[in-house]
Amino acid sequence: MKSYLKACLFLSLSTLTLATRPWGMTALNVRGGGSGIQEKEVKDEKVKGPCTLILIRHGESEWNVSNKFTGWYDCPLSEKGISEVKQAGLLLNEAGIKPDIAHTSYLQRAIKTLQLVQEETGTMWIPTSKAWQLNERHYGGLTGMDKVETVEKHGAEQVLIWRRSYDIPPPPVLADSPFHPKNDPRYAHLEFPEEFTETLATTLDRVLPYFLNNIVPDLKRGKTVIVAAHGNSLRALVKHLDGVDEDTIVNLNIPTGIPLVYHLDENMNVIPSDNGIAPLRGEYLGNQEEVRARIEGVQNQTKK
Amino acid sequence: MTSITSKTSELPFANLLKACMAPAAEGPYTLVLIRHGESEWNVENKFTGWYDCPLSPKGVEEVIQAGKLLKEEGIKPDVAYTSLLQRAIKTLNHVQEETGTMWIPVTRAWQLNERHYGGLTGLDKVKTVEKHGEEQVLIWRRSYDIPPPPATADSPYHPANDPKYANLNFPEEFTETLKTTLDRVLPYYESKIVPDLKDGKVVVIAAHGNSLRALVKHLDGIDEETIPNLNIPTGVPLIYQLDGNMNVIPSEQAIAPLRGHYLGDQDEVRARIEGVANQTKK
Repeated sequence: MKSYLKACLFLSLSTLTLATRPWGMTALNVRGGGSGIQEKEVKDEKVKGPCTLILIRHGESEWNVSNKFTGWYDCPLSEKGISEVKQAGLLLNEAGIKPDIAHTSYLQRAIKTLQLVQEETGTMWIPTSKAWQLNERHYGGLTGMDKVETVEKHGAEQVLIWRRSYDIPPPPVLADSPFHPKNDPRYAHLEFPEEFTETLATTLDRVLPYFLNNIVPDLKRGKTVIVAAHGNSLRALVKHLDGVDEDTIVNLNIPTGIPLVYHLDENMNVIPSDNGIAPLRGEYLGNQEEVRARIEGVQNQTKK
Repeated sequence: MTSITSKTSELPFANLLKACMAPAAEGPYTLVLIRHGESEWNVENKFTGWYDCPLSPKGVEEVIQAGKLLKEEGIKPDVAYTSLLQRAIKTLNHVQEETGTMWIPVTRAWQLNERHYGGLTGLDKVKTVEKHGEEQVLIWRRSYDIPPPPATADSPYHPANDPKYANLNFPEEFTETLKTTLDRVLPYYESKIVPDLKDGKVVVIAAHGNSLRALVKHLDGIDEETIPNLNIPTGVPLIYQLDGNMNVIPSEQAIAPLRGHYLGDQDEVRARIEGVANQTKK
């Protein structure tokens, strides 16, 4: 490889000796060598000032509209969800925030959210990683079921526990179910228990190591990182970032499609924002009244 | 504790090991090439190169259709490669959406960028003909290795002034030919893409007219005189089947000199191949 690059450099330098002539006259006969592009040596960058982490929950999905337990089911964004996240991109532009690196889940509603944000912010080219560890919490045997009907069947209290307990799992999904991840080729490289379900606790157990191993190193190099993910995978992150306790985190609503921006110091501690809506210390972009209204809105999905 | 575990560990230098070892799958292997859909600067008939213009609305429709064609054909990519330019990235996004493969690993590589048009970037093609003459412009567009005038260091079109390429060093005056494009495309293909094919993965590459010319020149053994004039229509999937030795298995529906085949209505494809030739005519 090095000798190839040296040859390119030699050829391009010898071409440049002809460059003093007007191009119109000699261009017909000038032949080029290599383009002369070389990779720079990577220097160790250490962050000095604050770095920026943007979290964004995917826009409204089709199963949000149908009011079904979604989890790992791979439904697309609704039309409204698409508009929401385009707006999110514009908000980032207005705030002058341009991501350098992106992370998202294996689920298309988050991936498309990220694509639309990248399109609006002119960052379609940035390195983007997709990670199952950022998936929504898997809803086990409740996947695909209507939320209101599930309340009618099991009672509001039980459903509330399954939805909003920190560590009480919903009934598992069975091995022969189409909603069991072992039956989905994208998870072919993973092993699952025969009966599978998740809680916010177990979701955090897979989100946090990914954040620490794959996202923090980029933040420490001063990169602006955007994470497009899901209600529960983002709950796991903000629980860690803001030290939110288990009883509070389960009821914390993160509205869809609104950028949530954190500034972190070189020790990865959150620098609290003046616009933080407690218990979060990051700030949502956009009209704050609307944001507060949207935070209230997510709670009402099991009411008729 | 999460109950999910990984089946295989991530070995360091995994790609290098794969390159040295025998292929995991015997073939035939499937490689899908697709040139990005019509872009806004195609519409404005400007030399584009590395300028990062978006797809036109028609281009978006083209590539949604391309995705549908792949789906009808039953082709589902396992990994994807594209350039750093949004017209190719967006092409790939739509193809992935239509084929239900949005989750597959995507690698974006400058080595798959369009050929850089040097100092011609941004100039109108017809006006450039009026200024320099048809013959000269034809040479710059369709010569194998005669470079257009370079972009100078202070030009907004010089890659040194674009944060996308912050990890690369460029000559002060920069331009490319099809030949120098091939010089960067082929090594990338051999080192990154071939190992995936040998693993039995269906690979889709969403790229550009000249970066794809480089690839098909290599795949189909096309000579230097023919390749600059070969038109690859925008937004039409071009499918190659390769044997265990990475040789192309010629398709019966191939349109010479290519041995891969385009999906879709073949008459329309032939008409589109002719169409690209007419951009410098008024």
